[in-house]
Amino acid sequence: MSCEQARLHIGADPSGTTPELEEHLQQCVSCRQFREETRVLDANIRRALERPPQRVGTRRPTTTWRPLALAASVLLAMLAVLSVWLLRPSDTLAREVVAHVQEEPESWLARQHVDAQSIDEALRGAGVRLDITSDRITYAQSCWFRDHYVPHLVVQTAHGPATVLILRNQQVSGRRTFHESGMSGVIVPAPQGSIAVLTQGGANVETLAAQMQQDVRWLPDTH
Amino acid sequence: MTQLFESMRPDLLRFAHWLARDRSLAEDIVQESLLRAWRSRDTLKDQGAARPWLLTIVRREHARLYERKRLELVSLDEALDSQAADKAAETDGDLFTLRHAIMRLPIEYREPLLLQTLGGFSTEEIARELALSSTAVLTRLFRARNKLRAICGMTPAPDVAASEAAP
Repeated sequence: MSCEQARLHIGADPSGTTPELEEHLQQCVSCRQFREETRVLDANIRRALERPPQRVGTRRPTTTWRPLALAASVLLAMLAVLSVWLLRPSDTLAREVVAHVQEEPESWLARQHVDAQSIDEALRGAGVRLDITSDRITYAQSCWFRDHYVPHLVVQTAHGPATVLILRNQQVSGRRTFHESGMSGVIVPAPQGSIAVLTQGGANVETLAAQMQQDVRWLPDTH
Repeated sequence: MTQLFESMRPDLLRFAHWLARDRSLAEDIVQESLLRAWRSRDTLKDQGAARPWLLTIVRREHARLYERKRLELVSLDEALDSQAADKAAETDGDLFTLRHAIMRLPIEYREPLLLQTLGGFSTEEIARELALSSTAVLTRLFRARNKLRAICGMTPAPDVAASEAAP
């Protein structure tokens, strides 16, 4: 086996081998090194492909900011522990909803109305439709949450913005309220899942949740 | 069967997303694929083979759309704009670069790479699915990784010449 053949084989299937390849590798240092490098690369490719891309709006910190970011993370972690201890959230789903919304801080800042087509695209993946007009919706994304795409909307209310997550695959036995990380909200059961509504300010989540329960149309599951 | 299909949905979405480079399209592809799978569920004799069977349906559904439009389903700029936002969530810059580079791979290299790494298909299975010779598949896989090597700062191997002929 030549070096070219060996490298073709390694590059095409880094974890595979044949007796001929092994024989070649015993005699060829550079092809051995090539295989080691390619296996590292392949492990990284698998890691890179592991999760589907998600949209979030903040920028990745640059190398210069990493020490500060680390310090801030430690501080935040300490605050988080303190908050958890003080507030003792009992609801895992609520906690994950809050964590997800925290990952998209720009969503609260959006003020431009989202067009009807974008709203429809955000809703389509979850098999839902919304009867309300779009002029109060300033953010609409389809987000990856608990192994499903869920619509993530921000609705402007008279008392500030409120976030709505339509959780088609998350059943809850009854209405639950929560207060965590400066957010308060409610998760209400729906015909085919649940709806989470939360706010950082004074928006009336109860009213909006009730409205969403009425306005969300759950399309039949096609499979 | 519904439960089995539903349990595969995250894997199918991930696969479709990397193929189509667009979340909405991926959702459409998976939805249509599951519908097709349901209609032809009787042809699935062994439930243990459901995953590769469904991935094949997703790949063909993507290929059908691709063929229909005769162009890349989503422009690279659009895909990369979407990815730019993703950069924020990535704590590992190298991984972000690699994801970006995989997005940039032409479909003829991206497709066999995804079938192999996400789908677990062997070279021969990929060759059958793509109607190529095994040598052609090996070449495409080699070239895909060689492009990624260069982007990751590794020295690329000299290119290889191989036949692209169908088996």
